[in-house]
Order: sequence, then structure tokens, then C-alpha cells
Amino acid sequence: MTAPKARRVEPSVEVPISLTVNGEAVEAMVPARQLLADFLREELRLTGTHVGCEQGICGACTINLDGEPVRSCIMLAAQVDGSAITTVEGLSSEGLSPLQQAFKDNHGLQCGFCTPGFLMTLSTIDPEEYPGEEGIREAISGNLCRCTGYGGILQAVRTAWDRPQDG
Amino acid sequence: MADTFELGGRPVYTGAHVTRRQDDALLSGQGTYVADLRPGGMAEMAVVRSPIAHGRITAIRTAAAAAVDGVIEVITAADLTDVAPYPNFAAYTQTPGTFPLAQDKVRYAGSPVAVVLAENRYIAEDAAELVEVDYTELPAVTSLEAALEPDSPRLFEDWTNNRLLDLQPDDSEVAAILAGNRVLRRRYKMGRHTAMPMETRAALAEVHNGRLHLWCTNQHAHIARTTLSYVLPLAERDIRVVIPYVGGGFGLKQHLYPEDVLVSWLALRHRRPVRFVEDRAEHMIAAAHARDHMIDIEAAIADDGRILAMRVQVVQDLGSAEIFPGAWCPALTTAAHMTGPYDIRDCVVSVAAVTTNKTPGGSYRGFGVPEAVFALERFIDEIAAEVGVDRLDLRRSMLLQPADLPYTTASGALLDSGSFAESFERVVEMGEDAYRQAGAHYRSDPDSRVGVGYAVLFEGVSPTHHGASAHWMGHESCTIEVQPDGGVRVASGVTDQGQGTTTFVATLTADALGVPIETVRVELADSDATPYGLGAFGSRQAVIGGGAILLAAADVRGKVKKIAAHMLEAPEDDLVIEAGRVHVAGSPVPAVTMAEIATTAVIRTIDLPPGMEPGLEATARYEPELMEHTPDEKGRINANAAYANAAHAAVIRVDLGTGEIEILDYILAHDCGRVINPPIVDGQIWGGIAQGLGGTLYEDLCFNDLGQPQTAFMDYLVPSAVEMPDVVIEHFESPSPNTPLGMKGVGEGGTVGPAAAIGNALAQALAEFSPQIHETPLSPAVVRAMIPDQRT
Repeated sequence: MTAPKARRVEPSVEVPISLTVNGEAVEAMVPARQLLADFLREELRLTGTHVGCEQGICGACTINLDGEPVRSCIMLAAQVDGSAITTVEGLSSEGLSPLQQAFKDNHGLQCGFCTPGFLMTLSTIDPEEYPGEEGIREAISGNLCRCTGYGGILQAVRTAWDRPQDG
Repeated sequence: MADTFELGGRPVYTGAHVTRRQDDALLSGQGTYVADLRPGGMAEMAVVRSPIAHGRITAIRTAAAAAVDGVIEVITAADLTDVAPYPNFAAYTQTPGTFPLAQDKVRYAGSPVAVVLAENRYIAEDAAELVEVDYTELPAVTSLEAALEPDSPRLFEDWTNNRLLDLQPDDSEVAAILAGNRVLRRRYKMGRHTAMPMETRAALAEVHNGRLHLWCTNQHAHIARTTLSYVLPLAERDIRVVIPYVGGGFGLKQHLYPEDVLVSWLALRHRRPVRFVEDRAEHMIAAAHARDHMIDIEAAIADDGRILAMRVQVVQDLGSAEIFPGAWCPALTTAAHMTGPYDIRDCVVSVAAVTTNKTPGGSYRGFGVPEAVFALERFIDEIAAEVGVDRLDLRRSMLLQPADLPYTTASGALLDSGSFAESFERVVEMGEDAYRQAGAHYRSDPDSRVGVGYAVLFEGVSPTHHGASAHWMGHESCTIEVQPDGGVRVASGVTDQGQGTTTFVATLTADALGVPIETVRVELADSDATPYGLGAFGSRQAVIGGGAILLAAADVRGKVKKIAAHMLEAPEDDLVIEAGRVHVAGSPVPAVTMAEIATTAVIRTIDLPPGMEPGLEATARYEPELMEHTPDEKGRINANAAYANAAHAAVIRVDLGTGEIEILDYILAHDCGRVINPPIVDGQIWGGIAQGLGGTLYEDLCFNDLGQPQTAFMDYLVPSAVEMPDVVIEHFESPSPNTPLGMKGVGEGGTVGPAAAIGNALAQALAEFSPQIHETPLSPAVVRAMIPDQRT
């Protein structure tokens, strides 16, 4: 058998975007096909946004886009023109936020690769919409962690959300 | 022996909840992983992979790809004229002759065939699609059963069969016992798993001052450096391997993969930095797979069910075996654990590791032990059912009791300590209670059945590397240097993939020197900055790395006291070191500080005691005395420095309609000897259980008859927070008399038990249907098929 036949590779078209990232204005010309995660990581050098699967499953690349948790590995940079983005680097201007501190205090991370995604998901959602213990699990069900077995993460969220575990 | 390894004073940090060193950086997005590195002038590499499982390469056309704007070069195996195949040091195996790019044949879908170097990854991946490869397809071997057939197509034409490893020990003694007793036979299989760290593999090479610098995700800086020197035309002194933050390893990153070699070769050729970052789709087919064992047990059974003797055959599906170090060692490890923590004196295990047209198997947390525990613990439950005895009493009749220790197993493992019976009784007490509650809760639900299952196990930790490589052994290293300001630099061959090694090294160093932990700087995973060590595998780093730390610290501590005695004009034996100050015990003043002592040692050397050499540092290496590297004439080997133990209990509810297993309670009693950092130990156990549960219930890497991988990341169901149950952990501490501080490893005890505990719980829950539970995964479809459609 033969691999697919050769085809021409068209040059990318560049697109101007202007947005706010972690409170700072950013203007850039981006290749039309550039992924948002790659723009953040390679162009802005905000490498705290991690890319774990490039297919929208693991949640490591989650960012805050206009108040919503989104996966930056399945969005194009060209799509975020006019938006406000917060990445993990923008979660706290000084020291750790209470959520970050709760992760530290409760051993909510091991390798740390998935951690920014968890933090961004949690910092973007309203705890009221995720009631009870089940709600905590539901809130983070779109983020995968392979190290912790979630025990420390769940405890960190309980602490941050002031939600003691019942029986 | 244990006396050699002392902390030197009252521990301040050992056993306490010391927060982890990297957490502030990791929580704020400042941890630098390989993929985060981007030196100026960097090019990126993409890999052209075989789309077929087995075939001969007849032509590779690269011109179209090479002509793409931004492509620097396209490379095939023919270009690697100065590259040697990975070595094979194991005389008892056949040699796959692994080469970084496929030479004449491809042996699995995903095999690297060519690489494209381009200005960025987008261009490299575009151009990779333009590389045309012609193949003559060959029949694929896609299961271990097929690979065992004598007329099976061969992956390697110069081999006589597909058995990379085939060990058939003399079984005449066991055969005689089998011949005179009731014999029970069962076959067990465990699915094909992969470690699936959240960070994929990555490597970045550059040439700096004429030397190769490789930043990579490997678990061993020095083994990686040495291996590169075997494969590349470079002296080892001209290679530096640095491992920055790593996003989980779990064994998968033990192997030095083709891409590590290829970025290095390209960086040397083009004199510019070259980066490769694996994407997850590649990871599914190109990073090490694991498990995929078949275990046949034949056992002679006494009237009361006790196992009198066992004859076992272990077969491991290696995939194409094109991986370094080789991947047969899990099968040997399975063999070494087949008797569990039971008094079974006669057990003979034959081992075959076979090649198939699948992604190469490799290391993964558990490393052969989950397979052994699943088979043996299911088998014991099946014996109990067959003979009509209580499964708990049957275990009690065979479990090693405190008076039996030390005990050498049939495979040669020296169990010098442990809480086998005690930990088992504790989880039984808790498990039975939870089971009663679950039974009461679901009694009136006609669509639910509940069950409790148990698994009790020992687990070799801190193994020799020789079983996997037939080359490296088992030592670890440490250098401790006290600098003139009193601060400490500690460098070791151990590495950190997120499990907390860095914090552990700081903890032990601080306590062993009597200094504040904040004054200790830890350097790991840089082959230029650390003494030669073997890094992360087999839950070894606390035990072996800890031993090296304690030995180096004892040297430094001795010299500190000598200098302080001279400065204080006090007898050395009266001195204590506390919080970085040395003074006479019981009288904190006068004291000299670590800074004053170190300044004396390396700057104002005129003030040293007469005849003393300048300097305040020591390097030590620790190789456990009792660890054996090669088996005796009967195949017995004590391959580990220590043996941890655990007992698992799972209480489950089965939905008869869907076949879904819900875990209601998961209880684990764990014994890793002396605990250094309780939250880190608990985190290892939770994480280990999650991986064990994933492999039991959800995870399986499937291939069709053509050898085409059928499992994408989306189908490989890594447990999320919704699937993961709460875990109750009970700690036992049985210090080993033979290890530093009595420590044993903790990384794997959680992973190795869930398949057995859940399998046994399922057998109880569905007992009315006489289910055949001999394989994992126990997915809803598999479980549903155990339940008749027409129930009474």
C-alpha cells in the first residue's frame, strides 16, 4: 500500500487579533490556523497553559475566556479577537490565591501538569451551581489527573468552597 | 546494617507533613516542562509513522516533503549511517536489534519510519503527510496466543520463533506433587494498558560548547546519557542530559525512545536546537504499552483448599519489543510474585515473552505484580468456591504470620518484615462491616447486587535494574556540600516525576545534617550536576536514594562535629547539631553555626584542626547488600531491597440491568515501613488505586486482526473524579531491618490490588449466576454478559 498522495500545502493567511490577556492588552498577527494554546504558549510564552491531548479531552489547557472555562487546544487564536483571557499566570498577582493555597495545603497536585487546567476550571465556575459533594466531582469531571486519584484535589476544593465532607 | 543509617539526631521533618518544594511554581504556571523550553533558533521534528502493523518497506519518497517551504530536512533510517542499534545485554533473550527508524520492516502501526525537521511543528506535520512510503504488507500477529503458535508469522526473520524470552525451569518436583493430589487449573488474563501520564513525551536537543545537551522526559538522567553514548557517535563526556519538570512518568518514561535519539542526531547535524513534543494520538501508539499477560495456574489442592504446590505459566505480549530497555521484565516480576504472601513452598513458573505486531510494551507502575495478584487472589476465591470452604479462612490458613518472618518465598524473595496477616484482618473487619451496610441498603433493590472482595499482597520494591536491562544493577548516589554561608547543596541520581522526590531528598538531608530545610537546595536529574545514579523505577528512590543521602550526610556530619569541637574546644562526642547550630548537648550556648563551620572548612582553612583536609562535602553510593542481580541455578533471586505489603477490600454494587460496577467502598491497609511524608504516601496510594481501578474497569488497548489500534484517547477511559471512589487508608509500619530507616517503597501498592479485589467482589455479587471472572477489564458489557437476560 502507499501513503496518501502528495498535495500542495497552501501558505497560511494571517489574521489580526486584539485582546486582553491577564489584564494586559495584546495585539498580534496570527496564522489563521494557529491554535489558541499555541498562541498563548509559543507567542506570548505563557507556558502555564499545558497541552495534554490536543483534542479537548484532558482539560489541561483550560483557560478563562470571557468568564467561561474553555479548552484552548481546540480553539483558534483567530477566534478570540476582542476577548478577555485569563491564564493560570493571571490567577493571582501576589502569592497564591485561596484556591491555589488549598491545592498546596491538601496535596492537590503531584506532577502539576494537569493543575493549571483544574485551577482555571474551578476559578471560572460558580460553586453554587455545583451543590454538594457530587457537585464538586461534577465540577472537575472534565479535567483528568493521572497522579493524585483526585483525593487531594477533592479535599482542596472542599476547603476552597468551605464545604466539609459529610460521611 | 540498619545502624549505619541514622538521622544523627532527633528528626524535625521526617514523618511530618512537609509541604512540597515545587508547589508554588506549579500552581502559578511557572513549572518548566520540556515542551515549555524554546531556545532561539529552535526547529521542530515531526515523525512519519507506519500506518500498517507488519510489512516490508519497499520505497520511501521524501522529495515532496523536503520541498515544502520551511522544511529543513527529511531523514530516514538510511541517513543514520553513524547510529548503532540499541544494545541488548540479555544473553537469555533473542535480540530485536531496535533502531531509531524502521530499516527494512515495520512491526507495528506507529513505528517511526521517517522524520521531518522544519522551522515549526505546523510545517513539520504538514510535510510529514507528504512523505510517501510503499509497503508490502505481511500477515500480522495480533495476540499472544497467535504468537505462541509454531507456524506464527515471525516478526524477526532471524529468530526461530516469536519468543523473545522462553524460560522453562525444571518442574519435576512440582509435577510429582500435582500427580498425587487433586489439581485445579485456571487461566487468567489482564488487558493491555498504558501509563498515560498527562504530559506526553518530549525532548529538546541542542549543541552547546561542542557538547550535546538533551532535555527530555526520561526517568533517568545517567542511564539516558549512557544509552545515548551507545547509540550515537559521541563520547559520554560530551553528553549532558537534563530532566526538568516532568508531568508524570509511571514507568512509561523509563525507556529511551527513538525520538530522544533523533532530536539529538538532528541537533548535532544542524547545529541548532531541535524539539519534539509528542501529541496524544501518537502517544497512544508510540509510547510504551503494558500488562497484557496470560497466566495459567495448575495447583495441587489439599482437602481444606490449601495450595500444596503450583505450576504456573506466564506469557507476556511484548508488542514488537522494539524498545530500550527491553520489556520482558514484568513477566519475570509476575513469576516472582506468584505465591503472594502465603506459605506456598513449591511453585515453579515458566515464563515466555512473545512478540506481536503491536506497539512495544514497556514499564508501567505495578510492573507485572497486578497480573500475579489478580491471578492468585482470584484463584484462591475460586478454590474456596470449588472446595466449599470460606475464602477468608482459606487465606488465613496460608498467610504468613509474624512468627514465619523472615521468610524466603519459592522464588527467592526475602520477606524480612511485614504485616501480611494483620493488614488482612484489618481490611476484612472494615470490609465486612461496609458490605453488611451495603447489603442492607440495597436489599430491596431487585436490580442491584452487592459484593465484597479482598486481595492481600506483597510487592517487591527497590529492585535491581538488571532484570530489565541485564546491564545496570541497583545503586544510588548522593553528594552533599555545605557551602560557606552554611547552606547545603544536595545532588542525587534520583529523579522527580511529580511523586515528591525533591521534597523527600530535602527532608532527609535536613534531618541528617541537623539544618533548617529551607537552607537545603536540591539538585536532581542533571547528569552534569549529579553523581551517577539510576533514577526512578520500582519504588526505589526513598530506600536506595535515601540510603545514599544518609551515608553522605553521616560523612559530612562527622566532619562538622570535628571542626566544631576544635572551634568550641569541647569533646566531639558531647556535641549535637540542631537547627544549623552545633553546641554541647543540653547547653545551647556557646554554639557555632553551620556558616562558621563551613567558612572555616573552605575559606579560613587556617583555622581547621591540624592535619584536616579543607572542604565540607561528601559523595556516597548505596547498593543494598541483600539485593541480588542474577538468579541462582534454580532460578531463585532476591531481586529487591525490600518488600512492601498491602491488603485491599472493595465493596461494589452491580447494576444487573447495565452491568455497571459501582464502587461503594474502597479500603486499603498499606505497609511501606517507615513513613517519611504522610501526605505524599497517601497521595501515592490514592493515585495508585486510581490507575489500578482504571485498568480493572475501563482501560484497554484493543487491536483488530490486522493489528490496527482501535483505542483512541477518547476511548481509553482514564478515571475522572466522578468514577473515583473515596478511599479509606489504614497504615501499618513494619520497618525493614535491612533498609535505611526501615523504609520500603510506596509507589505501587495501590495499583496492584484493585483488579483482584474487584474481581472477587464481582464473583460474590453475582454468585447466583456462577460468573466466569478470569479477565480484565470488567467493563459493563463484559459484566452484563455474565447476567442471564431472563432472571428469576
